[in-house]
Amino acid sequence: MNSRKLFAIVNRELGAYFSSPLGYFVLFVFFLIYGLFFWMICTGSHAATMQYFFANTMFVFFITTPLVTMRLWSEEEKNGTAELLKTSPLTIWEIVIGKYLGACCFFLVMSSVTLVYLTFILVLGNPDLMPLLANYLGYFLGVMAFFAIGLFASTLSENQIVSAIISLVILLGLWVIGYAGNMVQGPFGDFLKYISVLSHTEDFFKGVIDLSHVFYLVSLIFLGLFFSVKVLESKRS
Amino acid sequence: MIEVKDLTKTYGNIAAIEKISFSVPKGTILGLLGPNGAGKTTTMRILTTSLAPTSGKATVAGFDVVTAPQEVRKRIGYLPEVPPIYSDMSIMAYLKFVADIKEVPLDKKANRIGEVLEMLDLGKMSQRLIGHLSLGYRQRVGLAQALLHDPDVLVLDEPTRGLDPKQILEIRKLIKSLSGQRTIILSTHILPEVSSTCDDVIIVDQGKIVAADSVENLSQRLAGGKILDLEIKGPSDEVTKAFEKIDGVSAVKSLGRESKGVSKLEVSTDGTLEAREALFNCVVKNKWVLYQLSPVGVSLEDVFLKLTTKDSAL
Repeated sequence: MNSRKLFAIVNRELGAYFSSPLGYFVLFVFFLIYGLFFWMICTGSHAATMQYFFANTMFVFFITTPLVTMRLWSEEEKNGTAELLKTSPLTIWEIVIGKYLGACCFFLVMSSVTLVYLTFILVLGNPDLMPLLANYLGYFLGVMAFFAIGLFASTLSENQIVSAIISLVILLGLWVIGYAGNMVQGPFGDFLKYISVLSHTEDFFKGVIDLSHVFYLVSLIFLGLFFSVKVLESKRS
Repeated sequence: MIEVKDLTKTYGNIAAIEKISFSVPKGTILGLLGPNGAGKTTTMRILTTSLAPTSGKATVAGFDVVTAPQEVRKRIGYLPEVPPIYSDMSIMAYLKFVADIKEVPLDKKANRIGEVLEMLDLGKMSQRLIGHLSLGYRQRVGLAQALLHDPDVLVLDEPTRGLDPKQILEIRKLIKSLSGQRTIILSTHILPEVSSTCDDVIIVDQGKIVAADSVENLSQRLAGGKILDLEIKGPSDEVTKAFEKIDGVSAVKSLGRESKGVSKLEVSTDGTLEAREALFNCVVKNKWVLYQLSPVGVSLEDVFLKLTTKDSAL
Protein backbone atom coordinates (compact mmCIF):
# COMPACT_ATOMS: atom_id res chain seq x y z
CA MET A 1 0.00 0.00 0.00
CA ASN A 2 1.73 3.14 -1.20
CA SER A 3 0.68 6.23 0.74
CA ARG A 4 1.34 8.68 -2.10
CA LYS A 5 -0.88 6.79 -4.54
CA LEU A 6 -3.51 6.20 -1.86
CA PHE A 7 -3.56 9.87 -0.94
CA ALA A 8 -3.87 10.83 -4.61
CA ILE A 9 -6.98 8.68 -4.97
CA VAL A 10 -8.55 9.87 -1.71
CA ASN A 11 -7.88 13.45 -2.71
CA ARG A 12 -9.38 12.96 -6.16
CA GLU A 13 -12.50 11.28 -4.69
CA LEU A 14 -13.08 13.99 -2.14
CA GLY A 15 -12.52 16.62 -4.82
CA ALA A 16 -15.09 14.94 -7.04
CA TYR A 17 -17.81 15.45 -4.41
CA PHE A 18 -17.14 19.15 -4.29
CA SER A 19 -16.86 19.66 -8.02
CA SER A 20 -20.34 18.36 -8.73
CA PRO A 21 -23.72 19.66 -7.59
CA LEU A 22 -24.43 16.25 -6.04
CA GLY A 23 -21.96 16.80 -3.20
CA TYR A 24 -23.44 20.17 -2.27
CA PHE A 25 -26.96 18.84 -2.63
CA VAL A 26 -26.24 15.97 -0.24
CA LEU A 27 -24.57 18.34 2.23
CA PHE A 28 -27.47 20.78 2.05
CA VAL A 29 -30.08 18.10 2.68
CA PHE A 30 -28.01 16.61 5.47
CA PHE A 31 -27.45 19.81 7.35
CA LEU A 32 -31.16 20.53 7.02
CA ILE A 33 -32.18 17.14 8.39
CA TYR A 34 -29.56 17.21 11.15
CA GLY A 35 -30.65 20.65 12.21
CA LEU A 36 -34.25 19.55 12.31
CA PHE A 37 -33.43 16.41 14.29
CA PHE A 38 -31.31 18.29 16.79
CA TRP A 39 -33.93 20.93 17.26
CA MET A 40 -36.77 18.41 17.66
CA ILE A 41 -34.98 15.74 19.66
CA CYS A 42 -32.40 17.48 21.81
CA THR A 43 -34.07 20.78 22.53
CA GLY A 44 -37.42 19.02 22.78
CA SER A 45 -36.25 16.51 25.35
CA HIS A 46 -34.15 18.97 27.34
CA ALA A 47 -31.72 16.12 27.92
CA ALA A 48 -27.96 16.62 27.62
CA THR A 49 -27.49 13.58 25.43
CA MET A 50 -27.09 12.85 21.75
CA GLN A 51 -28.20 9.23 21.81
CA TYR A 52 -31.66 9.80 20.29
CA PHE A 53 -30.19 12.17 17.76
CA PHE A 54 -27.67 9.61 16.47
CA ALA A 55 -30.12 6.71 16.59
CA ASN A 56 -32.38 8.64 14.25
CA THR A 57 -29.64 9.77 11.88
CA MET A 58 -28.90 6.10 11.12
CA PHE A 59 -32.24 5.91 9.34
CA VAL A 60 -31.28 8.88 7.21
CA PHE A 61 -28.22 6.96 6.04
CA PHE A 62 -30.29 4.12 4.66
CA ILE A 63 -31.47 6.53 1.99
CA THR A 64 -28.42 8.74 1.60
CA THR A 65 -25.63 6.16 1.55
CA PRO A 66 -26.59 5.18 -2.03
CA LEU A 67 -26.48 8.87 -3.03
CA VAL A 68 -22.94 9.23 -1.76
CA THR A 69 -21.51 5.88 -2.86
CA MET A 70 -23.28 5.17 -6.16
CA ARG A 71 -20.75 7.07 -8.23
CA LEU A 72 -17.63 5.58 -6.65
CA TRP A 73 -16.95 2.92 -9.26
CA SER A 74 -19.92 3.20 -11.66
CA GLU A 75 -18.76 6.62 -12.80
CA GLU A 76 -15.23 5.37 -13.54
CA GLU A 77 -16.65 2.55 -15.61
CA LYS A 78 -19.02 4.84 -17.48
CA ASN A 79 -16.43 7.54 -18.26
CA GLY A 80 -13.75 5.08 -19.29
CA THR A 81 -11.46 6.31 -16.52
CA ALA A 82 -11.53 2.80 -15.04
CA GLU A 83 -9.03 1.94 -17.78
CA LEU A 84 -6.61 4.54 -16.42
CA LEU A 85 -6.80 3.15 -12.88
CA LYS A 86 -6.58 -0.45 -14.05
CA THR A 87 -3.53 0.14 -16.25
CA SER A 88 -1.63 2.33 -13.77
CA PRO A 89 0.75 0.68 -11.34
CA LEU A 90 -1.93 0.49 -8.65
CA THR A 91 -3.14 -2.60 -6.84
CA ILE A 92 -6.88 -3.19 -6.73
CA TRP A 93 -6.77 -2.85 -2.94
CA GLU A 94 -5.18 0.58 -3.34
CA ILE A 95 -7.97 1.64 -5.69
CA VAL A 96 -10.76 0.25 -3.47
CA ILE A 97 -9.39 1.56 -0.18
CA GLY A 98 -8.56 4.92 -1.74
CA LYS A 99 -12.10 5.30 -2.99
CA TYR A 100 -13.57 4.09 0.27
CA LEU A 101 -11.50 6.52 2.33
CA GLY A 102 -12.46 9.30 -0.08
CA ALA A 103 -16.14 8.63 0.61
CA CYS A 104 -15.43 8.38 4.34
CA CYS A 105 -13.71 11.77 4.25
CA PHE A 106 -16.83 13.21 2.68
CA PHE A 107 -18.79 11.60 5.50
CA LEU A 108 -16.51 13.40 7.96
CA VAL A 109 -17.33 16.68 6.26
CA MET A 110 -21.03 15.83 6.51
CA SER A 111 -20.65 14.97 10.17
CA SER A 112 -18.68 18.10 11.00
CA VAL A 113 -21.96 19.86 11.72
CA THR A 114 -22.56 17.58 14.71
CA LEU A 115 -19.64 19.32 16.42
CA VAL A 116 -21.83 22.40 16.65
CA TYR A 117 -24.52 20.41 18.45
CA LEU A 118 -21.91 18.74 20.63
CA THR A 119 -20.65 22.18 21.64
CA PHE A 120 -24.18 23.25 22.58
CA ILE A 121 -24.62 20.18 24.74
CA LEU A 122 -21.23 20.50 26.40
CA VAL A 123 -21.68 24.19 27.13
CA LEU A 124 -25.33 24.21 28.12
CA GLY A 125 -25.61 20.79 29.73
CA ASN A 126 -23.48 18.52 31.81
CA PRO A 127 -23.38 15.24 29.86
CA ASP A 128 -21.44 12.07 30.65
CA LEU A 129 -18.53 11.90 28.26
CA MET A 130 -18.20 8.12 27.88
CA PRO A 131 -21.70 7.61 26.49
CA LEU A 132 -21.06 10.43 24.01
CA LEU A 133 -17.91 8.65 22.89
CA ALA A 134 -19.86 5.40 22.46
CA ASN A 135 -22.51 7.31 20.47
CA TYR A 136 -19.91 8.68 18.09
CA LEU A 137 -18.15 5.32 17.73
CA GLY A 138 -21.42 3.57 16.84
CA TYR A 139 -22.35 6.34 14.44
CA PHE A 140 -19.00 6.24 12.62
CA LEU A 141 -18.71 2.46 12.47
CA GLY A 142 -22.34 2.08 11.40
CA VAL A 143 -22.14 4.59 8.57
CA MET A 144 -18.73 3.31 7.47
CA ALA A 145 -20.24 -0.18 7.18
CA PHE A 146 -23.08 1.28 5.10
CA PHE A 147 -20.53 2.99 2.85
CA ALA A 148 -18.57 -0.23 2.34
CA ILE A 149 -21.79 -1.90 1.17
CA GLY A 150 -22.52 1.08 -1.08
CA LEU A 151 -19.05 0.86 -2.62
CA PHE A 152 -19.57 -2.84 -3.30
CA ALA A 153 -22.92 -2.07 -4.98
CA SER A 154 -21.19 0.54 -7.12
CA THR A 155 -18.75 -2.02 -8.51
CA LEU A 156 -21.67 -4.10 -9.78
CA SER A 157 -23.02 -1.73 -12.41
CA GLU A 158 -21.81 1.08 -14.62
CA ASN A 159 -25.18 2.71 -14.20
CA GLN A 160 -25.25 4.90 -11.09
CA ILE A 161 -28.99 4.55 -10.62
CA VAL A 162 -28.75 0.76 -10.73
CA SER A 163 -25.87 0.90 -8.21
CA ALA A 164 -27.93 3.12 -5.93
CA ILE A 165 -30.88 0.73 -6.07
CA ILE A 166 -28.67 -2.29 -5.34
CA SER A 167 -27.18 -0.66 -2.25
CA LEU A 168 -30.60 0.55 -1.11
CA VAL A 169 -31.96 -3.00 -1.39
CA ILE A 170 -29.03 -4.49 0.54
CA LEU A 171 -29.22 -1.84 3.26
CA LEU A 172 -32.98 -2.05 3.67
CA GLY A 173 -32.65 -5.84 3.68
CA LEU A 174 -30.17 -5.62 6.56
CA TRP A 175 -32.66 -3.43 8.41
CA VAL A 176 -35.90 -5.32 7.74
CA ILE A 177 -34.32 -8.65 8.54
CA GLY A 178 -34.28 -7.58 12.19
CA TYR A 179 -38.09 -7.29 12.24
CA ALA A 180 -38.35 -10.69 10.58
CA GLY A 181 -36.12 -12.02 13.33
CA ASN A 182 -38.53 -10.73 15.97
CA MET A 183 -41.38 -12.66 14.38
CA VAL A 184 -39.53 -15.96 13.99
CA GLN A 185 -39.01 -18.03 17.12
CA GLY A 186 -35.94 -20.08 18.00
CA PRO A 187 -32.35 -20.02 16.82
CA PHE A 188 -33.22 -18.96 13.28
CA GLY A 189 -34.92 -15.87 14.61
CA ASP A 190 -31.86 -15.11 16.72
CA PHE A 191 -29.68 -15.53 13.67
CA LEU A 192 -31.79 -13.06 11.67
CA LYS A 193 -31.62 -10.58 14.52
CA TYR A 194 -27.86 -11.02 14.63
CA ILE A 195 -27.52 -10.18 10.93
CA SER A 196 -29.52 -6.96 11.26
CA VAL A 197 -27.35 -3.85 11.37
CA LEU A 198 -29.52 -1.92 13.77
CA SER A 199 -29.27 -4.56 16.48
CA HIS A 200 -25.55 -3.83 16.47
CA THR A 201 -25.73 -0.06 16.57
CA GLU A 202 -28.48 0.24 19.22
CA ASP A 203 -26.16 -0.48 22.14
CA PHE A 204 -23.67 2.18 21.08
CA PHE A 205 -26.45 4.75 21.20
CA LYS A 206 -27.37 3.59 24.70
CA GLY A 207 -23.79 4.44 25.62
CA VAL A 208 -22.40 0.91 25.71
CA ILE A 209 -19.32 -0.19 23.78
CA ASP A 210 -19.61 -3.92 23.22
CA LEU A 211 -16.70 -5.52 21.39
CA SER A 212 -18.95 -8.05 19.68
CA HIS A 213 -20.77 -5.17 17.98
CA VAL A 214 -17.49 -3.55 17.02
CA PHE A 215 -16.44 -6.89 15.57
CA TYR A 216 -19.68 -7.18 13.57
CA LEU A 217 -19.41 -3.71 12.05
CA VAL A 218 -15.69 -3.97 11.27
CA SER A 219 -16.36 -7.35 9.63
CA LEU A 220 -19.09 -5.76 7.54
CA ILE A 221 -16.67 -3.04 6.40
CA PHE A 222 -14.06 -5.64 5.55
CA LEU A 223 -16.56 -7.79 3.65
CA GLY A 224 -17.79 -4.81 1.63
CA LEU A 225 -14.22 -3.91 0.63
CA PHE A 226 -13.23 -7.53 0.05
CA PHE A 227 -16.13 -8.20 -2.31
CA SER A 228 -15.49 -4.91 -4.13
CA VAL A 229 -11.90 -6.07 -4.74
CA LYS A 230 -13.15 -9.47 -5.92
CA VAL A 231 -15.63 -7.92 -8.36
CA LEU A 232 -12.98 -5.62 -9.82
CA GLU A 233 -10.53 -8.50 -10.11
CA SER A 234 -13.10 -10.60 -11.93
CA LYS A 235 -13.58 -7.81 -14.47
CA ARG A 236 -10.08 -8.45 -15.73
CA SER A 237 -10.81 -12.04 -16.72
CA MET B 1 10.09 -5.17 -26.88
CA ILE B 2 6.66 -6.72 -27.20
CA GLU B 3 6.19 -10.44 -27.75
CA VAL B 4 2.78 -11.96 -28.30
CA LYS B 5 2.34 -15.70 -28.69
CA ASP B 6 -0.89 -17.55 -29.47
CA LEU B 7 -2.94 -14.96 -27.63
CA THR B 8 -6.60 -15.90 -27.36
CA LYS B 9 -9.51 -14.19 -25.66
CA THR B 10 -12.93 -15.76 -25.70
CA TYR B 11 -16.23 -14.50 -24.35
CA GLY B 12 -18.36 -17.61 -23.94
CA ASN B 13 -18.14 -19.33 -27.28
CA ILE B 14 -17.16 -16.25 -29.19
CA ALA B 15 -13.47 -15.64 -29.76
CA ALA B 16 -12.61 -11.93 -29.75
CA ILE B 17 -9.08 -12.84 -30.80
CA GLU B 18 -7.76 -16.25 -31.71
CA LYS B 19 -4.14 -17.38 -31.52
CA ILE B 20 -2.62 -14.03 -32.39
CA SER B 21 1.18 -13.95 -32.50
CA PHE B 22 3.48 -11.09 -33.35
CA SER B 23 6.48 -9.28 -32.05
CA VAL B 24 7.44 -5.65 -32.10
CA PRO B 25 11.13 -4.72 -31.99
CA LYS B 26 12.27 -1.72 -29.96
CA GLY B 27 11.71 1.63 -31.64
CA THR B 28 9.14 0.40 -34.13
CA ILE B 29 5.75 1.90 -34.79
CA LEU B 30 3.31 -0.90 -35.43
CA GLY B 31 -0.11 -0.26 -36.90
CA LEU B 32 -2.95 -2.58 -35.99
CA LEU B 33 -5.38 -2.28 -38.82
CA GLY B 34 -8.78 -3.84 -39.08
CA PRO B 35 -12.48 -3.20 -39.37
CA ASN B 36 -14.46 -2.39 -36.24
CA GLY B 37 -14.83 -5.44 -34.00
CA ALA B 38 -11.77 -7.17 -35.44
CA GLY B 39 -10.12 -7.54 -32.04
CA LYS B 40 -7.78 -4.53 -32.05
CA THR B 41 -8.99 -3.11 -28.75
CA THR B 42 -9.06 -6.54 -27.10
CA THR B 43 -5.41 -7.09 -28.08
CA MET B 44 -4.46 -3.69 -26.71
CA ARG B 45 -6.35 -4.16 -23.47
CA ILE B 46 -4.52 -7.44 -22.88
CA LEU B 47 -1.15 -5.82 -23.59
CA THR B 48 -1.92 -3.02 -21.14
CA THR B 49 -3.05 -5.48 -18.43
CA SER B 50 -6.59 -4.19 -18.31
CA LEU B 51 -7.89 -7.55 -19.50
CA ALA B 52 -6.55 -11.05 -18.90
CA PRO B 53 -6.14 -13.38 -21.88
CA THR B 54 -7.95 -16.72 -21.99
CA SER B 55 -4.80 -18.42 -23.20
CA GLY B 56 -1.48 -17.57 -24.77
CA LYS B 57 1.33 -15.34 -23.60
CA ALA B 58 2.20 -11.70 -23.96
CA THR B 59 5.27 -9.94 -22.65
CA VAL B 60 6.18 -6.27 -22.59
CA ALA B 61 9.85 -5.43 -22.06
CA GLY B 62 10.33 -9.01 -20.87
CA PHE B 63 7.55 -8.89 -18.26
CA ASP B 64 4.54 -11.14 -18.59
CA VAL B 65 1.24 -9.25 -18.59
CA VAL B 66 -0.42 -11.88 -16.39
CA THR B 67 2.30 -12.73 -13.88
CA ALA B 68 4.04 -9.34 -13.60
CA PRO B 69 1.34 -6.78 -14.42
CA GLN B 70 2.74 -4.05 -12.16
CA GLU B 71 6.09 -4.09 -13.97
CA VAL B 72 4.28 -3.89 -17.31
CA ARG B 73 2.13 -0.99 -16.10
CA LYS B 74 5.20 1.02 -15.10
CA ARG B 75 6.56 0.73 -18.63
CA ILE B 76 3.47 1.24 -20.71
CA GLY B 77 1.45 4.32 -21.60
CA TYR B 78 -2.06 3.62 -22.76
CA LEU B 79 -4.55 5.81 -24.54
CA PRO B 80 -7.84 3.89 -24.68
CA GLU B 81 -10.52 4.46 -27.30
CA VAL B 82 -12.24 6.91 -24.97
CA PRO B 83 -9.64 9.15 -23.31
CA PRO B 84 -9.69 8.32 -19.57
CA ILE B 85 -10.15 11.85 -18.29
CA TYR B 86 -12.13 13.36 -15.43
CA SER B 87 -14.29 16.15 -16.75
CA ASP B 88 -14.55 17.79 -13.32
CA MET B 89 -10.79 18.35 -13.03
CA SER B 90 -8.54 20.96 -14.60
CA ILE B 91 -5.82 19.68 -16.93
CA MET B 92 -3.20 20.55 -14.34
CA ALA B 93 -4.99 18.82 -11.44
CA TYR B 94 -5.59 15.80 -13.63
CA LEU B 95 -1.96 15.47 -14.67
CA LYS B 96 -0.82 15.86 -11.06
CA PHE B 97 -3.17 13.03 -10.11
CA VAL B 98 -1.85 10.85 -12.95
CA ALA B 99 1.77 11.64 -11.98
CA ASP B 100 1.04 10.42 -8.45
CA ILE B 101 -0.62 7.15 -9.39
CA LYS B 102 1.97 6.45 -12.09
CA GLU B 103 4.92 6.94 -9.77
CA VAL B 104 6.55 9.92 -11.49
CA PRO B 105 9.36 10.81 -9.02
CA LEU B 106 8.25 13.72 -6.84
CA ASP B 107 11.28 15.88 -7.67
CA LYS B 108 10.61 15.52 -11.40
CA LYS B 109 6.84 15.83 -11.22
CA ALA B 110 6.48 19.55 -12.00
CA ASN B 111 9.12 19.44 -14.75
CA ARG B 112 7.63 16.44 -16.42
CA ILE B 113 4.12 17.91 -16.41
CA GLY B 114 5.52 21.08 -17.97
CA GLU B 115 7.29 19.09 -20.67
CA VAL B 116 4.22 17.10 -21.59
CA LEU B 117 2.00 20.18 -21.63
CA GLU B 118 4.43 21.84 -24.02
CA MET B 119 4.77 18.75 -26.19
CA LEU B 120 1.02 18.64 -26.70
CA ASP B 121 0.59 22.39 -26.87
CA LEU B 122 -1.66 22.47 -23.81
CA GLY B 123 0.38 24.98 -21.80
CA LYS B 124 -2.09 27.86 -22.06
CA MET B 125 -5.02 25.61 -21.27
CA SER B 126 -3.61 23.99 -18.13
CA GLN B 127 -6.09 25.62 -15.76
CA ARG B 128 -9.13 24.88 -17.91
CA LEU B 129 -11.66 22.28 -16.80
CA ILE B 130 -11.39 19.17 -18.94
CA GLY B 131 -15.18 19.06 -19.25
CA HIS B 132 -15.08 22.38 -21.11
CA LEU B 133 -12.58 21.24 -23.72
CA SER B 134 -13.26 20.27 -27.32
CA LEU B 135 -12.90 16.68 -28.46
CA GLY B 136 -9.48 17.37 -29.96
CA TYR B 137 -8.13 18.84 -26.74
CA ARG B 138 -9.56 15.97 -24.70
CA GLN B 139 -7.72 13.54 -26.95
CA ARG B 140 -4.53 15.50 -26.35
CA VAL B 141 -5.04 15.40 -22.59
CA GLY B 142 -5.49 11.64 -22.99
CA LEU B 143 -2.18 11.48 -24.82
CA ALA B 144 -0.53 13.64 -22.15
CA GLN B 145 -1.67 11.10 -19.57
CA ALA B 146 -0.13 8.24 -21.57
CA LEU B 147 3.19 10.06 -21.96
CA LEU B 148 3.51 11.46 -18.46
CA HIS B 149 5.59 8.71 -16.86
CA ASP B 150 7.87 8.57 -19.92
CA PRO B 151 7.03 4.95 -20.79
CA ASP B 152 9.08 2.73 -23.08
CA VAL B 153 5.98 1.45 -24.80
CA LEU B 154 2.98 3.42 -25.99
CA VAL B 155 -0.30 1.77 -26.84
CA LEU B 156 -2.66 4.12 -28.64
CA ASP B 157 -6.17 3.04 -29.51
CA GLU B 158 -7.30 5.18 -32.43
CA PRO B 159 -5.24 8.22 -31.43
CA THR B 160 -6.71 10.51 -34.08
CA ARG B 161 -10.35 9.80 -33.33
CA GLY B 162 -12.46 12.91 -33.22
CA LEU B 163 -9.75 15.25 -34.45
CA ASP B 164 -10.01 17.66 -37.34
CA PRO B 165 -7.65 17.25 -40.33
CA LYS B 166 -5.12 19.76 -39.05
CA GLN B 167 -5.01 18.15 -35.62
CA ILE B 168 -4.72 14.71 -37.21
CA LEU B 169 -1.57 15.81 -39.04
CA GLU B 170 -0.16 17.28 -35.83
CA ILE B 171 -0.83 14.14 -33.81
CA ARG B 172 0.70 11.96 -36.52
CA LYS B 173 3.77 14.15 -36.53
CA LEU B 174 3.93 13.92 -32.77
CA ILE B 175 3.63 10.13 -32.82
CA LYS B 176 6.42 9.93 -35.36
CA SER B 177 8.60 12.17 -33.24
CA LEU B 178 7.97 9.98 -30.20
CA SER B 179 9.34 6.88 -31.87
CA GLY B 180 13.02 6.12 -31.86
CA GLN B 181 13.47 5.33 -28.21
CA ARG B 182 9.89 4.24 -27.76
CA THR B 183 7.98 1.34 -29.16
CA ILE B 184 4.52 2.28 -30.29
CA ILE B 185 1.45 0.26 -31.18
CA LEU B 186 -1.45 2.15 -32.61
CA SER B 187 -4.75 0.89 -33.88
CA THR B 188 -6.84 2.46 -36.54
CA HIS B 189 -9.31 1.76 -39.25
CA ILE B 190 -8.14 4.76 -41.20
CA LEU B 191 -5.70 3.55 -43.82
CA PRO B 192 -3.65 6.66 -44.59
CA GLU B 193 -2.78 6.72 -40.92
CA VAL B 194 -0.88 3.48 -41.26
CA SER B 195 0.98 4.40 -44.43
CA SER B 196 1.93 7.82 -43.08
CA THR B 197 2.89 6.84 -39.54
CA CYS B 198 3.76 3.19 -39.17
CA ASP B 199 6.81 1.08 -39.99
CA ASP B 200 5.03 -2.24 -39.79
CA VAL B 201 1.44 -3.19 -40.14
CA ILE B 202 -0.69 -6.05 -38.94
CA ILE B 203 -4.09 -6.49 -40.48
CA VAL B 204 -6.59 -8.25 -38.26
CA ASP B 205 -10.01 -9.44 -39.19
CA GLN B 206 -12.47 -11.43 -37.09
CA GLY B 207 -9.90 -12.02 -34.38
CA LYS B 208 -7.17 -13.33 -36.62
CA ILE B 209 -4.09 -11.86 -38.25
CA VAL B 210 -4.62 -11.89 -42.00
CA ALA B 211 -1.40 -10.13 -42.93
CA ALA B 212 1.71 -8.84 -41.20
CA ASP B 213 4.56 -7.08 -42.92
CA SER B 214 6.20 -3.74 -43.45
CA VAL B 215 3.90 -1.19 -45.03
CA GLU B 216 5.82 -1.13 -48.37
CA ASN B 217 6.16 -4.88 -48.70
CA LEU B 218 2.55 -5.41 -48.02
CA SER B 219 1.30 -3.19 -50.81
CA GLN B 220 3.85 -4.68 -53.22
CA ARG B 221 3.31 -8.28 -52.28
CA LEU B 222 -0.39 -8.11 -52.71
CA ALA B 223 -0.38 -6.07 -55.89
CA GLY B 224 -0.42 -9.18 -58.13
CA GLY B 225 0.52 -8.51 -61.81
CA LYS B 226 1.71 -5.08 -62.76
CA ILE B 227 -0.95 -2.86 -64.11
CA LEU B 228 -0.32 0.13 -66.36
CA ASP B 229 -2.57 3.04 -67.15
CA LEU B 230 -2.33 4.30 -70.70
CA GLU B 231 -3.79 7.24 -72.57
CA ILE B 232 -3.44 7.02 -76.29
CA LYS B 233 -4.64 9.08 -79.21
CA GLY B 234 -5.81 6.46 -81.61
CA PRO B 235 -8.75 4.22 -82.42
CA SER B 236 -9.62 2.26 -79.33
CA ASP B 237 -10.37 -1.07 -81.03
CA GLU B 238 -7.20 -1.19 -83.09
CA VAL B 239 -5.05 -0.18 -80.16
CA THR B 240 -6.53 -2.90 -78.01
CA LYS B 241 -5.98 -5.55 -80.66
CA ALA B 242 -2.40 -4.47 -81.28
CA PHE B 243 -1.57 -4.44 -77.57
CA GLU B 244 -3.00 -7.88 -76.97
CA LYS B 245 -0.49 -9.35 -79.42
CA ILE B 246 2.50 -8.01 -77.47
CA ASP B 247 4.52 -10.51 -75.42
CA GLY B 248 4.15 -9.96 -71.69
CA VAL B 249 0.72 -8.36 -71.93
CA SER B 250 -1.92 -10.53 -70.38
CA ALA B 251 -5.00 -8.36 -70.68
CA VAL B 252 -6.12 -5.06 -72.08
CA LYS B 253 -9.16 -3.38 -70.70
CA SER B 254 -10.66 -0.31 -72.26
CA LEU B 255 -11.78 2.11 -69.61
CA GLY B 256 -14.34 3.21 -72.18
CA ARG B 257 -13.82 6.91 -71.89
CA GLU B 258 -13.05 8.31 -75.28
CA SER B 259 -13.02 11.96 -76.16
CA LYS B 260 -11.33 13.71 -79.04
CA GLY B 261 -9.93 10.37 -80.16
CA VAL B 262 -8.13 9.70 -76.89
CA SER B 263 -8.68 6.26 -75.38
CA LYS B 264 -7.88 5.24 -71.87
CA LEU B 265 -6.72 1.70 -71.31
CA GLU B 266 -5.70 -0.47 -68.41
CA VAL B 267 -3.04 -2.96 -69.45
CA SER B 268 -2.00 -5.91 -67.28
CA THR B 269 1.60 -6.93 -67.91
CA ASP B 270 4.17 -9.28 -66.45
CA GLY B 271 5.78 -6.28 -64.84
CA THR B 272 8.98 -6.23 -66.91
CA LEU B 273 10.41 -3.12 -68.54
CA GLU B 274 10.47 -4.95 -71.87
CA ALA B 275 6.71 -5.06 -71.88
CA ARG B 276 6.57 -1.31 -71.40
CA GLU B 277 9.09 -0.80 -74.20
CA ALA B 278 7.07 -3.01 -76.51
CA LEU B 279 3.97 -1.01 -75.75
CA PHE B 280 5.79 2.22 -76.55
CA ASN B 281 7.24 0.85 -79.81
CA CYS B 282 3.85 -0.42 -80.87
CA VAL B 283 2.39 3.05 -80.42
CA VAL B 284 5.21 4.64 -82.43
CA LYS B 285 4.95 2.05 -85.20
CA ASN B 286 1.25 2.74 -85.66
CA LYS B 287 1.78 6.50 -85.49
CA TRP B 288 -0.56 6.92 -82.55
CA VAL B 289 0.28 9.39 -79.81
CA LEU B 290 1.12 8.32 -76.28
CA TYR B 291 -0.16 10.80 -73.68
CA GLN B 292 0.38 8.74 -70.60
CA LEU B 293 1.93 5.50 -69.43
CA SER B 294 2.00 5.02 -65.71
CA PRO B 295 2.09 2.04 -63.38
CA VAL B 296 -0.90 1.77 -61.03
CA GLY B 297 0.17 1.29 -57.43
CA VAL B 298 -2.05 -0.86 -55.29
CA SER B 299 -2.91 1.20 -52.27
CA LEU B 300 -3.17 -0.14 -48.79
CA GLU B 301 -6.85 0.45 -49.15
CA ASP B 302 -7.11 -2.18 -51.86
CA VAL B 303 -5.02 -4.59 -49.84
CA PHE B 304 -7.15 -4.02 -46.82
CA LEU B 305 -10.42 -4.55 -48.63
CA LYS B 306 -9.06 -7.57 -50.41
CA LEU B 307 -8.01 -9.16 -47.14
CA THR B 308 -10.96 -8.29 -45.00
CA THR B 309 -13.79 -8.59 -47.46
CA LYS B 310 -15.08 -12.09 -47.79
CA ASP B 311 -18.03 -11.21 -49.96
CA SER B 312 -16.94 -11.78 -53.55
CA ALA B 313 -19.82 -9.67 -54.84
CA LEU B 314 -17.91 -6.63 -53.68
